[in-house]
Amino acid sequence: MSNDNTAELVVVRSKHFGRWIAIIVIAVLAVLLLRSVFTNPRFGWETVALFFRDTAIINGIGVTLFLTVVSMVIGIVLGIIVAVMRVSTNPIISGAASLYQLFFRGTPVLVQLLFWFNLAALYPSISFGIPGIDLNANEIITPMTAAILGLGLNESAYMSEIVRAGILSVDRGQTDAASGLGMNRIQTMRRIILPQAMRVIIPPTGNEVIGMLKATSLVSVIAVPELLYSAQIIYSKNLQIIPLLIVASLWYIIITTVLGIGQSFLERRFARGSGHHAPPSFADQFRRAFRMHATEVNGKKL
Amino acid sequence: MTHSAAQTPMVRADGVVKSYGSNTVLRGIDLEVQPGEVVCLIGASGSGKSTFLRCINHLETIDGGQLAVDGHLVGYNRKGNKLYEQTEKEVCQTRAEIGMVFQQFNLFPHMTVLENLLEAPRIVRKKRTAEIKPLALKLLDQVGLADKANAYPRQLSGGQQQRVAIARALCMEPKLMLFDEPTSALDPELVGEVLKAMKDLAATGMTMVVVTHEMGFARDVADRIAFMHEGVIVELGPAADVIAHPQHERTRAFLSSVR
Repeated sequence: MSNDNTAELVVVRSKHFGRWIAIIVIAVLAVLLLRSVFTNPRFGWETVALFFRDTAIINGIGVTLFLTVVSMVIGIVLGIIVAVMRVSTNPIISGAASLYQLFFRGTPVLVQLLFWFNLAALYPSISFGIPGIDLNANEIITPMTAAILGLGLNESAYMSEIVRAGILSVDRGQTDAASGLGMNRIQTMRRIILPQAMRVIIPPTGNEVIGMLKATSLVSVIAVPELLYSAQIIYSKNLQIIPLLIVASLWYIIITTVLGIGQSFLERRFARGSGHHAPPSFADQFRRAFRMHATEVNGKKL
Repeated sequence: MTHSAAQTPMVRADGVVKSYGSNTVLRGIDLEVQPGEVVCLIGASGSGKSTFLRCINHLETIDGGQLAVDGHLVGYNRKGNKLYEQTEKEVCQTRAEIGMVFQQFNLFPHMTVLENLLEAPRIVRKKRTAEIKPLALKLLDQVGLADKANAYPRQLSGGQQQRVAIARALCMEPKLMLFDEPTSALDPELVGEVLKAMKDLAATGMTMVVVTHEMGFARDVADRIAFMHEGVIVELGPAADVIAHPQHERTRAFLSSVR
């Protein structure tokens, strides 16, 4: 044995040849793609720049964000109610919630949007069965209300399953403890179960928000001037289809990125006391991938 | 403990029956626990002792017999010769008077230790934080955790969590405390601190029903021991007598197996 003093041993890091090969292959492909993007005149980058902050586009973004927020609020509130109904011990209530989910998850949201848009053909006047109330469906069901109803109700069916999974993820002993202290079912749900369920509910809900943002583009079929429809109106006049679709896509990417940042913030907030850590950022992962062994041997940050 | 006619028993069980489907787990439990008394329920797993404990505060419904706490039926109101199921509100009122400590602690992980103690008095008893906080801090001090008020349950050892759970139950100022195998989920070196907290509590005159496998605790702290087997109490008597001179062969077999 030439050296028994472990303090003098030197750690030789793995070379990770595979990673370097991957970098070269991906870099070549990226260069080819970027070259085509900037040399192919049909991308029409001047047109993209021209319309990127066009008033109609900006207004369209406003409508898209409005629809996303309102539909998600409806989806989350109704979703919690349906989820709590689904876990009820009353078979009629849980059965009704199941039927609701079956209907809204079993039909395409595009079909639902068209149904709401054409509601007046089914019910020309709406009275909710209450004498004295007689509303003209053609006046109430504007493209915007049809869009909100269609997106919001459809979303509530999906959110209810997410919330239910969250509720079921909370240990049964928590209900025992809350009941044992004299809390009723509503207090237990609101103070004990739902706050803990949030950790399970938040990540998929973030995905739902991002999905909803993109799903709002579907309401272009019922002439709601959101982002995509605004772009379509412009290209139907100037025929610059690709540049305007790029404008819309860039905005969708920007907004989903911002939403993603908000999501990771919320995940950290609700990880309180759980001992789970929010996932590492991309930069952290990258750093670890290339310096993994040194990091773990030394046990400290590089 | 001598039975005085004037005293209402804290717990009175008359022929309590409980079944899950075709599986009858309690086959007629008779037991009276007097105020200030500590009764330990012992027996093999599956003998129904935890189920019986959960019936006392109506976490489980009973299918036969009667259970009363401090003279009031649990889960039912009697009018004439009919029993009416209580409303949720009435059940909650009964439970608020009965503290319960669980094998798995069941602290609320999203709240600090202090918030765990304050939660039920605030939400159930509608007390303001300022009203209840001195009691909460005093109870934490009594279980030796005054410095952990702002810690989250995950940051505590099992023994510390269970002591918090005891303090949380006491913060509702219950008249009866139920313990469901409070030391069974603990590492051996942490059992002592929880048993000490329970012993201190017994010394204050609290009425306690304890499901346990800790024979030393049962012998030192319990007034009486009830040995359960297959859903009935087969032996009931002063702690020292039952442990030193078990009468029933099942009790003898059980005691020799846990020693």
